[in-house]
Amino acid sequence: MPTTNPTLFRATHGLLWLMLTLVVAAALIVAGVAIALVVAWPDVMAEIRTMPEFVDVATIRFPLGILMLLLIAVLGVAAYILRQLQALVTSASRDPFIVDNAARLRRIGWSLVTIQVLALPVHWTAANIARAGSEFSQMGGLSIGSLLSILLAFVLAAVFEQGAAMRGELEGTV
Amino acid sequence: MAIVVKLDDLLHAKRMTLTDLSERIGITLANLSILKTGKAKAMRFSTLEAICTELECQPGDLLAFETDR
Repeated sequence: MPTTNPTLFRATHGLLWLMLTLVVAAALIVAGVAIALVVAWPDVMAEIRTMPEFVDVATIRFPLGILMLLLIAVLGVAAYILRQLQALVTSASRDPFIVDNAARLRRIGWSLVTIQVLALPVHWTAANIARAGSEFSQMGGLSIGSLLSILLAFVLAAVFEQGAAMRGELEGTV
Repeated sequence: MAIVVKLDDLLHAKRMTLTDLSERIGITLANLSILKTGKAKAMRFSTLEAICTELECQPGDLLAFETDR
């Protein structure tokens, strides 16, 4: 059952692909930095010394490495969410109220929980290596928007589950 | 199945085919066929009303309850 116009669906698909590409590109950049921390630390340290936001350049190698790993994990989960959204949008062009979509929305909800959980050590690590008040030190942490997104995903999952059950009841009705 | 749809008998009595009924009441042949073969899970009042109007019958003439004994 088509629920909206095809142009909107194509635009949404395009936007999701764009976002997925950006997430993958960001993950590659972060991975590049993480590799540089391991194989070219003296050069990286020389570069970091020019940045005023870091507190103690000599001791930030390990926490910076941890931070990069956490960011890669966050970006990986974000990519997974975008793939779930792509599948959801594809199915929505046919019949959105199916059990699979309820499961997808629930997986998106748990993925958002994972990102929020990862954002806490990200914030803690960033705040420890950067000067207070700098943009870097405010990375990650709890966000009202993210918490509301989690709630929204789980509520939508319940709505889709109910919708799928009602659709099932309607099947076979003459 | 406990509820039996006697559409076939009513059509036979009226000398009407399922296709004729479908055209007259505006319900697809596929849906009427589901109803006739007892595969339908539920029936709308609007469908019941349309069939009863066209076949000049009562709901009780179309549906019957049979116990599984």
